[in-house]
Parts: sequence; structure tokens; C-alpha cells
Amino acid sequence: MALKFNIKKSFPSFKLDLSLELSTELLVLFGPSGAGKSLTLKMISGLVTPDSGSVEVAGEKVFDSAAGVNVPVRSRRTGYLFQEYALFPHMTVEQNIAYGIGGMRAEGASARVRELLGVMRLSGLEKRYPSELSGGQKQRTALARTLATSPRILLLDEPFSALDFQVREKLRADLLNIHKLYPVTTVVVTHDLEEAFMLSERIAVMNEGRIEQFGSREEVFYRPATRNVARFVGTRNIFTGRVLSVTDSEVVIDSPAVGTVHAARHGSVTVTPGSEVVFCIRPEEIPVIRKDRTLEHRVKDNIVEGEITAITGRGTTHLLYMKTFTGQTALKVELPNHVLRKLDLATGDTVRVSLKRESIWIIG
Amino acid sequence: MDLFPLLLTIKVSVVATVITVALGIVIALVLARRNFVGKNVVDALIMQPLVIPPTVLGYYLLTLLGRSSGFGRFVEDVLGVQIVFTWKGAVVAACISSLPLFIKPARAAIEGVGREVEDAARLLGKTEQQVLRTITLPLAWRGIMAGTVMAFARATGEFGATLMVAGNIPGLTQTLPVAIYDAVQIGDSGSANLMVAIITLFSFAVLYIAGRFSESKF
Repeated sequence: MALKFNIKKSFPSFKLDLSLELSTELLVLFGPSGAGKSLTLKMISGLVTPDSGSVEVAGEKVFDSAAGVNVPVRSRRTGYLFQEYALFPHMTVEQNIAYGIGGMRAEGASARVRELLGVMRLSGLEKRYPSELSGGQKQRTALARTLATSPRILLLDEPFSALDFQVREKLRADLLNIHKLYPVTTVVVTHDLEEAFMLSERIAVMNEGRIEQFGSREEVFYRPATRNVARFVGTRNIFTGRVLSVTDSEVVIDSPAVGTVHAARHGSVTVTPGSEVVFCIRPEEIPVIRKDRTLEHRVKDNIVEGEITAITGRGTTHLLYMKTFTGQTALKVELPNHVLRKLDLATGDTVRVSLKRESIWIIG
Repeated sequence: MDLFPLLLTIKVSVVATVITVALGIVIALVLARRNFVGKNVVDALIMQPLVIPPTVLGYYLLTLLGRSSGFGRFVEDVLGVQIVFTWKGAVVAACISSLPLFIKPARAAIEGVGREVEDAARLLGKTEQQVLRTITLPLAWRGIMAGTVMAFARATGEFGATLMVAGNIPGLTQTLPVAIYDAVQIGDSGSANLMVAIITLFSFAVLYIAGRFSESKF
């Protein structure tokens, strides 16, 4: 079952315009808050009516502004998961799950409920009320409730963001498992990069009501199409520079931030000498050159020197803020904790780092 | 003690409460869930009986429902119903006075039912009526019950507007509060004390029950 849509909606200060085509896959809609991700799900489900466009679920047009089609929410068979669960507080777990299939007394309901209780690890909780459940149990109940109705598509709106770290991990695994068990087109909205990565091969990056990039996670992560995407995926070093020369395999860029660097050339952007370009490099892709190591004459390694202005811990890694001697720009370098320990670096030290030519990505 | 005022009061209050609740639920739903131009004006109008002097309210009703107004003549001549100076007048007065007391808690309770919970039911294939019956009303039930009890109490104690619209005709339109007034006027303190005791006991019971309803379970 597939999902195809092309929707537009305007508000005084916000415009949404996007189109996507999905097969029976799990797609992550990733972007900052306010990008319009939740609104997109609401429009696919019919909770919000788009100004114009069309939505097609499993071959059926459920919305088409040109043809005047707008199938009511109740007839679209959309599975929807809210961030805050939206369970029915006056019903038990099993009553919640059976609600969409005519209640516990309906034919076949109890067998279906039992099956879903098992799949969602909820057995033993069927008589509990939502107020007696943990956050993870609530969301699993909500998922079971929507799966009971055999939805044609599944829309999940930041489903795990109200949960703590370990529960979140487990539920993501549950979701992948469910997707294998009941393969329907699934769209998960998240602003959590890690979640986006764990859930899907393909990621659509949304910003200000548009899709800025739609591709594999490697593409989005290492080859961001726009400056915004680079920012959202944590590419903390984004610079502008002027192209000095271009060969088949290499672009030489002069930038105020890091001086002259040699970057690998890729096909997707056209660069000409003299033009201005934006390029980036991920902080964890920058190795620090050990103090005692003598430099061989390898210009292509793009050696940059600077002074460490701050070191901040980020759990399993540390982030070095390095003021480059050329540009006085803060270059961010992320090192695993054990590497930092071995290098014995401290604030105020002078360091040399290497911006590898393959690690530099020219955005355009 | 003449039992008529007590029986009439019960009759008027029950009929008025049924009408108030039926009408009030619809108004509370509209006020809680719909946005329209002039919503604030409608809201202010419905809440008027809470602040306007009951005699003023009674005067409005008397003018509107009496033979001097076109509407009053229409109701009397075409529908064949005489409202003014009958027990039906007391019902109308009780309804209008108790409506805001019902709507306030009912509306708050309906507004307290999360939008997403209702949306979840729609997404699971339910019609608007099913959503209302299985989700919204059950979840707002406590507020609606509390409002019902308050409306009933207000209807029972209605005095000023009732006096204006229904009059004070012993054996015909004289309700308990009006009868108390009469008893005090003619110095029959025995009847007055008994009736006052009944009303006091009743009011206390009502507030106690209303309090029990508003305790939330979920």
C-alpha cells in the first residue's frame, strides 16, 4: 500500500508546500520544530484540510482539491500516533485497543486484542486504565489500538519524544519489528537525528514547510544538499569561500575561515573559478595531528592550525572549539574521549588538524 | 402546611432541569468546540441571569411572553399555550436562570476533553455522533452532572423572575420560595420555618452531591 501526496497550505506567517511518493516503506520526516512536519501528517490524515493538492492512499484519492474530493477522517483508515498518546482515559487497555473494531463484545475482537497485547508486550495489563500505565506502555497501547483497525497507512507524530532514553530505544525497535510484521506505509516525524537514523534508510529533511532533501541517511548525513540540512544533521563547520581553481577531481577554495583548502570534487555541483561556494566538514571527521609528529610535506591534507578556546564534554565524545590562526573562526572538532585523553589537550594549547579533502563537502 | 407549593416547586424544577440540560448541552458543545463571529456576545447573553437582577429578568420575560408582544401573541394564539401567570411561566423563569449555572461547568468539562482524544476516535473510524456519545460526553460526564445538580438547585430556589412571570397565585403558581415570602408577610412563622428548613436541607444536599461529582476519577 502506497502513499502519494502533494499538498499546499498557507498561513499568515507560514507556508507549506510539499509532495512525496512512498511505497510500503518506513519514511522518516526529519526537521526542526516549526518545519511543518506534524501539520503534514494532519493533512494526510484529514485532520487538517490542505488549501490545495491531492492525497492518495493505496490507490484511492482521499483528497483532491481540483475534483472536490475530501474523504472524512473516519473513512481514511489512517493509523495515527500522537506524541501524548491520546488514549481514552475512561477505558481500560483492552477497551482502548478494541475501540476501533466495535468494542470488546464485537466478533473476533477479543482474539485480535489478545494477539496485539502479545505483540506489543502488554499482556497482563488489559484491565488497567491509562492512568495506571507508564509512558512506554501508554504508547504501545496507542500503537496496538491503531493496528487493531488494520490501517492502510501509519502516521507517527514524534511518538517517542515524551519518553525517556531507554524506553525510547526499545520502542524504536518495537516499531521496526511491527513494520516487518504488518508492512504498511509508515511516516515517522521526528526532530531527533539519532531516531531518524535508527528508523529509516531514507530520510526526508523538512524545513519551513518544504522538503530540502530526500535521500538515504548517508546522503543526508555526509552530502547535505543545503546549508540548512547540513545544520540539522550536526555538520557544525559550514564555511563560505571563493573557488581558486577547479580540476577534474579537485576544487581549491580560499576561505577566510580556514585558509586555502583542497576539496574533492563531486558531480552534483557546478563550480567555476572565482565563484563563491559553501562547504562543510563534520566535526568528527577532523583528526587532530599529534604534537610530536613531524609534518610531511602533504599540502592536500589541508593542515589548519589554531588555539583551543574551549573543550566541552558530550557524553562519549568531547568537542574542541578551535580558533584558527588564519581566520579566527571557531572550528569544531569532535574527538572520542579516549583520543582526547591520549592527545592530552587542554584549553589554550595550539593544535594542528587536518581537513581531509574527501571529508570536505561542497554544498554549492 | 399546604403541600401544593412544595409539589409545584418539584414539578417546575424537574421540568426546567430537563429542558435546561437538553438545551445546555448543545449550547455548551457549541461554545466549547466552535468558533464563530459574535461568540463572546452569545456567551455574555447566556451568562446574564447570573448578574442581572431577577426582577429585571422577569420583566423581560413578562414583556416577551405576554400578550403585548408579537411573540407572546404567537405562542398563545397559534400554539395555544399560555405561559404568563401559569406554572409554565415558572418553568421558563427557572430555565433561563439556571442555564448559565449548567453551562459553565458543562462547557469547562467539554473543553477539558482533549482535542486529540476526540481526533483519535475519528481516526479509528467513528462518526461525530459516536465520538460525542462514546468519548466527549462520558469524559465530560462529571462536569455535566455537577451542572445539572446546580441547575436543579437554582430552579428550586428561583424567586424574583418567577414572581414576575408566573405571579403568586396560591394553588396555581405559588412555588415554595414565593410561599415562604407570603408566610413571612402574614406572620405565619410556623409554615415559614418549616419551608425554610426544607429548602436549607435541600440546598446543602445539592452542594454536597455536586462536590462529589466534581471529584475527578481519571
